[in-house]
Parts: sequence; C-alpha cells; structure tokens
Amino acid sequence: MSKLSEKLRSKEFVVTGEVGPPKGVNIEELLEDAKRLLKDTVVAVNVTDNQSAVMRIGSMAICHLLKQNGMEPVFQMVTRDRNQIALQSDLLSAWVLGIENVLCLTGDHNTLGDHQQSKVVYDLDSVQLLKAVTGLNEGHDMAGNELEGSPQFFQGAVVTPEYDPVELQIIKMKKKIDAGAQFFQTQAVYDVKTFESFMNKVEKFNVPILAGIVVLKSAGMAKYMNQYVAGVFVPDDLIKEMADTEKNDRKNKAIEIAARIIRELKPTCQGVHIMPLGWDNTVPEIIKQADLA
Amino acid sequence: MHATIQKPLTEILSFLKKGEKVFVVGCSNCAAKCHSGGEEETKFMAERLKGQSVEVTGWAAPPDGGSLCKLSIAEKMLNEDHKDAAQKADSFLILSCGQGIHTIIDATGGAPVHPGCDTIFGGETVRDDYITEYCSLCGECIVEITGGLCPLTLCPKGLLNGPCGGSKDGKCEVDSDQDCGWQLIYERLKELGKVERMYQYTEPKNHGTWSKPRSLEVGLKKSAFKSLAGLRTIEQE
Repeated sequence: MSKLSEKLRSKEFVVTGEVGPPKGVNIEELLEDAKRLLKDTVVAVNVTDNQSAVMRIGSMAICHLLKQNGMEPVFQMVTRDRNQIALQSDLLSAWVLGIENVLCLTGDHNTLGDHQQSKVVYDLDSVQLLKAVTGLNEGHDMAGNELEGSPQFFQGAVVTPEYDPVELQIIKMKKKIDAGAQFFQTQAVYDVKTFESFMNKVEKFNVPILAGIVVLKSAGMAKYMNQYVAGVFVPDDLIKEMADTEKNDRKNKAIEIAARIIRELKPTCQGVHIMPLGWDNTVPEIIKQADLA
Repeated sequence: MHATIQKPLTEILSFLKKGEKVFVVGCSNCAAKCHSGGEEETKFMAERLKGQSVEVTGWAAPPDGGSLCKLSIAEKMLNEDHKDAAQKADSFLILSCGQGIHTIIDATGGAPVHPGCDTIFGGETVRDDYITEYCSLCGECIVEITGGLCPLTLCPKGLLNGPCGGSKDGKCEVDSDQDCGWQLIYERLKELGKVERMYQYTEPKNHGTWSKPRSLEVGLKKSAFKSLAGLRTIEQE
C-alpha cells in the first residue's frame, strides 16, 4: 500500500509535490533537485504527463527513477495521447515498475502544446480512465478479460474549485468518485473563502482533497493566470502584495504567501499539493513556514 | 450537407501535367450551396484554367440541383450529355466533396481524377451563408441523454462525462470564441428540466461504428449498415 494512501486513510495532513519531466534526456538536475528538495519534505511527488501538451520524457520513466531514488511517485496520466490499449498497458507497466499511485486526467488539448497537428486521441475521458483503473485493480481489463495478476493502484483525480459554474465540477467529481477516485488534488487555490465554500459543498463525498498550491512568482504571472488559465483566480490584494515587492525579494514573498494560504486552508482540507513551477527550491521553506515541517 | 471549400488555383495547377486535357465537374447540391462547385463556379474554374493555358475539354454540373455523388446522375452527365468532351479528357477535376470524386472514378470506369475542393465537415445550414457542424457521423447517436447536443462534436476532446477543467467564462480552452460544449449541454438540460442526466455515466464510445470504410444497403423493408462493429440490420415495420 502506498504511503500516500496510508497517510490519507489515517487522516494525516499530507503534502505532495510535483516535478515536470524535461524535453530531452538530461535528467540529472531534475533528480538532484527532487532528492535535495522533495525527498524529505513531501509524502509523494506527482510527475506530469507531457504537461501543457508539450512533448517531453514520459511520466512513467521519471516516476520509476524517483522510486529508485527513494521517493514515492504519483503517476499522472492524461487520456489525450493514448487509446484504451495503451493506457491500460502503461498502467500495468507502471505497476510492475513499483508505481502505486496514479492520477487520472483529461489533459490539455493538443492545440495548446507544441505538436498542434498531432492526432487528438481522447479514446477515454478521465471518468472512464478511473473506471479502467478500478477494473484493473479488480483483475480485469476494459474488455472484461481476466488479468494474470492485478495491480492495486491508489487512484486520484483532479477538480477545479474556482470553476464557473462550480456545479459542473461537482457533478463530474461525483462521477469520478463513483468511478473509483480515492483522492483529489485541486487546481490552484488562492482565494481561501471560495475554497471553503467549495469544500462545504463536497464535504458529503467524504473523500480526501489536497488543495493545489501554485507558487505565485510575480504580479504578472497572477494577471496572466487570471486572464488565461481556466479555474484560477488570484485576488487583487495578492496581486498588489506581489507587485509591491522588490524583484530580488519576490521569492521570499512567494514563500510567505504560499505558506500563509496553506495555514489558512489547513483546517478545511486533508492536505496540499504544491506546484512550484520551476521554483522547486521554495518547497522546503514553504513547508517550514506553513508549520508543516 | 457536406461542406466544401475550393482549393487555391495554384494547388490545382500543380496537379496538372503539361499538356494534360481536363474536364471540370461540379455538383449542384452541397458544393453549389457552398459556392465551391456549383454550375457557376464550375464554369468559372474552366475559364480560369483556360486562362492559365490549360486545355479544358469541357465542364458540367448535374442539372436540377442534382448531387454529383449519385452514380446514375454522374454517369448520365459524363457518358451521355457531355460524352464527347468527357471522352477527350485525360483527367477530371472535381469541384465537390470526396464522395463526388469517387463517384466520377466509378462513372468513368477508373479515369484519373483531381480534387478541386477540400471536404471540411458535415453540417447544418443555419443560414444560406453559414454552415456549422453538429454531428460527427459516428454511427451510433448518443444525444438522447444530452438534450440533442452531441458532446463528441461540440467538445474538441469529445468528452462524454462532462467538461474538462479548461473552459473559462463558458468558452473552450481550444478557442476562446467557441462555447464549451458541455456548458451548452448543461444549460440545455437545465432548460429541459433534465439536469440530473449530467450525473449519468456514459461508457467509452464504440469506435466500431465509426470505422472506415462503412456502407449501407438500403431497402424499403430492410436495410443493413456494415462497419467494423459488425452488420446491423434494420427492418421497417
């Protein structure tokens, strides 16, 4: 059983981190950073799957390397690029490489990435993928064939608390839980009040939710996300706080803001998922300042 | 409606060898409605080709709004009405959808053909000057639970169990001018008082009925649809 599932089951407050595989085969920096900054600070590390539809090293390989280096990976899997055969095959492959957690997502559309003319697959959606994982865990594939030995994945999904209208996200969240989702990680949360109101609506589902923390690097990034990134809303006072900060002090401010949000969110959820977007070296200090160390 | 757009003249010219004699064929149904290959556009294409020193043996579009993709119409047109000019041609330039192109291969017993149009989608003619896609011709309609709106077509990801997290202000992550298909479905179900259908799980699409090439035997009493999902026989009562 994965550490992530054990800790969530025993109602501990859990912190997960995230790495994004590089484009190319130089992985030394990613592994060194993960060992130095994440290994002793987070319970598990998500590995993104060709994030933003940009072609990179696959999530499975990096998950395996993290595992070899003493970390517990969360294998992110999007349905954009693989059909049912490839998705299920990769799930079985991941399991035999020691990967126990999987996060099922739809994935950004091809046209948002760097291979815009590639074939759009989406043979399954995220709900159907969760159901496929449930099936493998039960010992059969999607066609109903029996497996010779089945995995026991701990499977998660995502939800966007600031989506408008949020009811659509909650309906889909319910479908994901019915399909087998055992935990959720959320899109970035900056507005604690909106998050609390979301949590009140989904409390009845009784499923562990890790709030998404995207490290806010600048006022420009905040404005960009508000304009272009779906389901992300950075309140004006946070933008101002960032804008009023000298450039060379921004990293400290980013840490301070992330830690503050975590402290405020902590009573409402079962953990946080920190996405440093390259500022990996902020993670240990965020955890410390959030009183989670 | 099979929506089509005409290829640029430079591309069409690149298909033709020096000295190649061409007969230009149009369609008086869908391509005429798209102004990509009706009688007028077919005649104009013949003139433009002549202006580029291409030897055009003739041109024709089916009479009375006829569809080029009906083999008997294409045969009568090329083997009777325009027989002489058609027989002089080395090849046929087709201003219609891809179905029409193959109809000319059949009608001529295998003559060389060139596509003059790109076939872009099957759509609803909302107005004479606006056609839009509501159906992907998947072979197994699922709109009963979505209030008549097809998520396979209206969502670029073809998601069947609700929206992704990518839409913003009701617009799709792929194109900020395009409505999120699932938000349209949600609003429609709310209007119909059937929003509970949003909770219904939909199985993965059976891609067998969406396989290629498919065929249909048509009969008044009995029809048969053949796809990789198997033969589906439909008997009228």
